[in-house]
Amino acid sequence: MRRVAIVGAGMTPFGELFGLGIKEMLPMAVSDAVASVDKGFDRGDIAAAWFGELVTTDGFASGILADSCGLLDIPVSRLENACATGNDAIRHGVLGIASGFYDVVLVAGADKVRETSTRSTFWDWMGLTRDMAWDFPLGLVAPANFALHVARYLHESPATREHMAMVAVKNHHHGVSNPKAQMRFEITIDQVLNAPMVVEPFGLFDCTPQSDGAAAVLLASEDVVDRYTDNPVWIRGVGLGVDRVMHAHKPDMTTFPPSVKAAKQAYAMAGVGPRDIDVAEVHDCFTGVELIDYEDLGFCDRFEAYKLVEGGETSVGGRIPVNPSGGLKAKGHPPGATGVAQCFELFEQLRGQSCNQVDGPRWALAHNVGGPTAVSAVTILSTQRA
Amino acid sequence: MIATIGTYLPRWGSAASRESGVDEDVVTMAVAAGRMAMAAAGRMAMAVVGAGPVKRVVLVTREFPLLEGGNSAALLAGLGLPRDVEVREVLGGAPAALEAVADAEDGTLVIGADETPGAGAAAVLCGLEGVSLRLVGRVNRSLPVVTRNARGETREYGDPRLLRESGLGASVAALGLTGPVSAVVGATGRDAALMSDGGPQVPTGGASATLLALAELVEGGAGGRILAVDQATITGADLGSGTVSVGRDEVTPVSVPAGQLTPGPEISISLPAYERAFEAKLRLEAARCEQCGTLSYPARFRCLTCGSEQPPGTVALPRDAVVYTKAVVHVPVPGLTTPYTLVVAELGDTGVRVLVRVTGSASGQIEIGATGNVVFRKVADRTGVPDYGYGFLPTEVAA
Repeated sequence: MRRVAIVGAGMTPFGELFGLGIKEMLPMAVSDAVASVDKGFDRGDIAAAWFGELVTTDGFASGILADSCGLLDIPVSRLENACATGNDAIRHGVLGIASGFYDVVLVAGADKVRETSTRSTFWDWMGLTRDMAWDFPLGLVAPANFALHVARYLHESPATREHMAMVAVKNHHHGVSNPKAQMRFEITIDQVLNAPMVVEPFGLFDCTPQSDGAAAVLLASEDVVDRYTDNPVWIRGVGLGVDRVMHAHKPDMTTFPPSVKAAKQAYAMAGVGPRDIDVAEVHDCFTGVELIDYEDLGFCDRFEAYKLVEGGETSVGGRIPVNPSGGLKAKGHPPGATGVAQCFELFEQLRGQSCNQVDGPRWALAHNVGGPTAVSAVTILSTQRA
Repeated sequence: MIATIGTYLPRWGSAASRESGVDEDVVTMAVAAGRMAMAAAGRMAMAVVGAGPVKRVVLVTREFPLLEGGNSAALLAGLGLPRDVEVREVLGGAPAALEAVADAEDGTLVIGADETPGAGAAAVLCGLEGVSLRLVGRVNRSLPVVTRNARGETREYGDPRLLRESGLGASVAALGLTGPVSAVVGATGRDAALMSDGGPQVPTGGASATLLALAELVEGGAGGRILAVDQATITGADLGSGTVSVGRDEVTPVSVPAGQLTPGPEISISLPAYERAFEAKLRLEAARCEQCGTLSYPARFRCLTCGSEQPPGTVALPRDAVVYTKAVVHVPVPGLTTPYTLVVAELGDTGVRVLVRVTGSASGQIEIGATGNVVFRKVADRTGVPDYGYGFLPTEVAA
């Protein structure tokens, strides 16, 4: 199996990009990635591409990527795996190179959540992930999907809404210095706790915004990496976990078993453990989810996530900074792009180029969880080739 | 013979006039009342009341949710009756309900249900023993002071004295009955008072009013004459003396909770998916693995535990439930009234959990660990199709 590195990464700003379609955002992100390659990059080197997208808004997805980015002579596939789409698309790019099929591939992700009216978006997106006869008509909107987990988590663990608010405050603080972030302003614990309720226990500031955006990474095999950079970021582990899709069939809702499974696969492949991780970008679509992520990814013991935020350990400058980009919470969450954008941030972190740089990281972890909390993808990156 | 009676009044509105909840219609209210009547028979043992198995259901209302397509399958599923039981959907008010009970053979469940004026339902289970009800007269006259056409448009002529004198008064005279009247249903309180001394005051005015009044009369035990009125049409019947078991599902009403109905696109439906789920969803029946006994709800091709793909058996799930977790939705959701509360609740000691919406609770503030029951409700209106299932009714409401 050949080793795979990221040699370039790019993204659009995340936000309400009403003026841009998928067919504009994609070439912007891809060109940004091409421009980031240290020794220059000829996109004719790209041998295959994967495009992660949940909802297609400009028409046939694979064709849009090929057409808009000048990649008409290579195989292009669209991949959809709910909110785990981005990191799963990267996993597929890794498989393509590690297997020996391709030397250089493009992995892009994009979505336009704001392309439909705020009124219709709830039902449009629920239609993707809910059983049409049983769960769909109940109005299990995305925040409720996660609130069912977090309410039980708050019931069983010492964590409180204040601890959730600390996650929001931290990620907003991180997002201020990120020029690509959607929400670049500080908030306070009181603002989070007193914000209008969306779905209990989530107030407005506990929730990710609705976002448009695209991100792209260029992957190369160890055989050709030197052509592009002397400072690659190695993809050392990938994992994908799944679970039963209906909440009624999940025995313990204080955890996301897909995250545990995905992390276990990725750690085993990389030959490291959670204590080795220096910086992470995790799925914080709702603040309480980030607390559960800490436990599922092994950053702390079960029901002790609150200690990490109380002690500032997951802030930049702490023991294990989480979401230095601002996370989904402040940077934004166009689902297909989210995981790819996490790897963009970690690419810059591991190369010492981030707008919110962590001190000398060597190992980094990206994580998504989504769908009806039934799928998770984890990617582990390193400055170390082996 | 009236063997047992069940009643159901929604918990919203005032004591004088109830309102159905957003997840209720005449089918869900009829199911609630019908289940109370059958439970009352169960307590006394079917053999004692001579009701036997229910052979026929007669639903009398003017507010069928589906005028095309029919409501019988949903009604039987909610009642837990077999699919081959005869269902008669009778369009009518208080007189039609009185005649349906008087004409009923043993094994007939007559249900009256109304949305307006005043929401509620009551059901009479007829058997070989119990209290008799004998028709004594009927007058059909036309004085349509209130009309509703096939498109549902209503109009009021607006002359209460005309109705009282040329309508009701003239019809009672034409009926030619003498002697005391124990109850008048289907007329306003003032009009009814002219024809009887006191008598039951029921909070509905349609088909359910007749059966709610019968419930009150049989509880008294003395019997008497009942007049059921629908504008200028009137039917009289004499109720024999004696009491029967009456099961009431009625709690003190509270104001309809302040909610916000957000307009928006209709909630779509796949009719094949609806049809596949229908029986298990409306009857609350789990699949039971023939290999390992694991219960699955909803039923699935492959067993949750052992992976067996043999066709499973079917078992009814218990309805007592404990909340495992919850989510209270405040954000406006098009087509729904917010706030609403979703819970994952565990049924009895089966280990089976269901994801359902909370019903009947003004605050929606259900705590994890709260107890209650799952009850038959309308989950959503989906492009014209009422989508029935279950809701979680907290114990604090039912008490």
